[in-house]
Amino acid sequence: MTLNLCVLTPNRMIWDSEVKEIILSTNSGQIGVLPNHAPIATAVDIGLLRIRRNGQWLTVALMGGFARISNNEITILGNDAEISTDIDPQEAKQTLEIAEANLSRAEGKRQAIESNLALRRARTRVEAVNVISY
Amino acid sequence: MAMAALRREGRRFLLPTASSAPTIAARSAISNEESCLFGVRSISTQIVRNRMKSVKNIQKITKAMKMVAASKLRGVQIRTEASRGVWQPFIALLGDSPSIDVKKNVIVTVSSDKGLCGGINSTSVKVSKALFKVYSGPEKEPKYVILGEKGKAQLVRDSKDHIMLSVSELQKNPVNYTQVSVLADDILKNVEFDALRVVYNKFRSIVLFIPTVSTILSPETIEKESEAGGSLGDLDLYEIEGGETKSEVLQNLTEFQFSCVMFNAVLENACSELGARMSAMDSSSRNAGEMLDRLTLAYNRTRQASITTELIEIISGASALEG
Repeated sequence: MTLNLCVLTPNRMIWDSEVKEIILSTNSGQIGVLPNHAPIATAVDIGLLRIRRNGQWLTVALMGGFARISNNEITILGNDAEISTDIDPQEAKQTLEIAEANLSRAEGKRQAIESNLALRRARTRVEAVNVISY
Repeated sequence: MAMAALRREGRRFLLPTASSAPTIAARSAISNEESCLFGVRSISTQIVRNRMKSVKNIQKITKAMKMVAASKLRGVQIRTEASRGVWQPFIALLGDSPSIDVKKNVIVTVSSDKGLCGGINSTSVKVSKALFKVYSGPEKEPKYVILGEKGKAQLVRDSKDHIMLSVSELQKNPVNYTQVSVLADDILKNVEFDALRVVYNKFRSIVLFIPTVSTILSPETIEKESEAGGSLGDLDLYEIEGGETKSEVLQNLTEFQFSCVMFNAVLENACSELGARMSAMDSSSRNAGEMLDRLTLAYNRTRQASITTELIEIISGASALEG
């Protein structure tokens, strides 16, 4: 039994194939999804989406969105998503440093919130590259 | 009759020696006199030449515009096709019920900023006006949100009070999702709605654009409908994960759906605009080419006629001298 996973963003389709298991992070924690999961609809937080296929784990940095799971079909709609192999580690680190600098310089509530979000996004990308696949 | 001919030919007919004997003036002057004396039998070569030059310029310009539109179209088409997949899961989850009857309808019309793009803006505005009529009733009055200058220009004329928000210059920078989601956020904040109808031109192929309406329901409407059963009743089968209530999730979902659908609509309309411009400029340059052919014929005829008359005069003058 396998799951049919489809990861979509407004710009393009990131993933469309069969997988064995996924781990996605919602705003109440991480949930693992195996075949024959109960149907759920949930919001996905800015974080990592881990996919197990052929015994190997792949990581996708997901910037928030929605997930719908039913009948072994998973559809994840994200605002933006990047597969970890597509991320350049140096560039991700630089973006993280810029985001941290922006956060310390942020004035006012709105800027603080925005730079916080940018920091989380940058951190997710760096984590995606650094995660150890087992 | 000479004066009428003068007026008809238009500019630069201040030739004072119109009726005097033909001098060794430029051939065009002779032709001018000719036309003044004999009415509009022959148009002056000068005028025809000027007209030919301007028509040729128009042909060049429209051909260039066509190529520009064609090259831009390629890039936008790829992005449009990539964005088409993203609103389908929403329909699968929330169902698509365009015939739903709600009180507050908001019609979002997507149009272009620049002109010379065929009839797509008029079709969008026509569909919007038709929707307006359909949804007007005793207690309900639809409102407009307009994207793009051309739509605004057409709708402002008769529906000025119903326009809630209008946005222009959407296409200045290449459209990206962040920009559209900010715009969608703006609209959602400022407009009360039960249902949003997005009107745009769907890009089927370079010659085919179909005016389409996409419906997005507000979270309250969805809750009402799902309780009433029907296609949205399956929504309750899904457990909601993550400690949020169903209405919060629905709100997030509809906002996300709106921004995805807007993104797709803007891209499709941009594609349609470029395709329509391509075909409009193509037919325009072809037209200019035909006009140029006709003018060339007229020019040659005029030129030959004036040569012939000059020859006749010379020969008759010579024979008069001899005889």
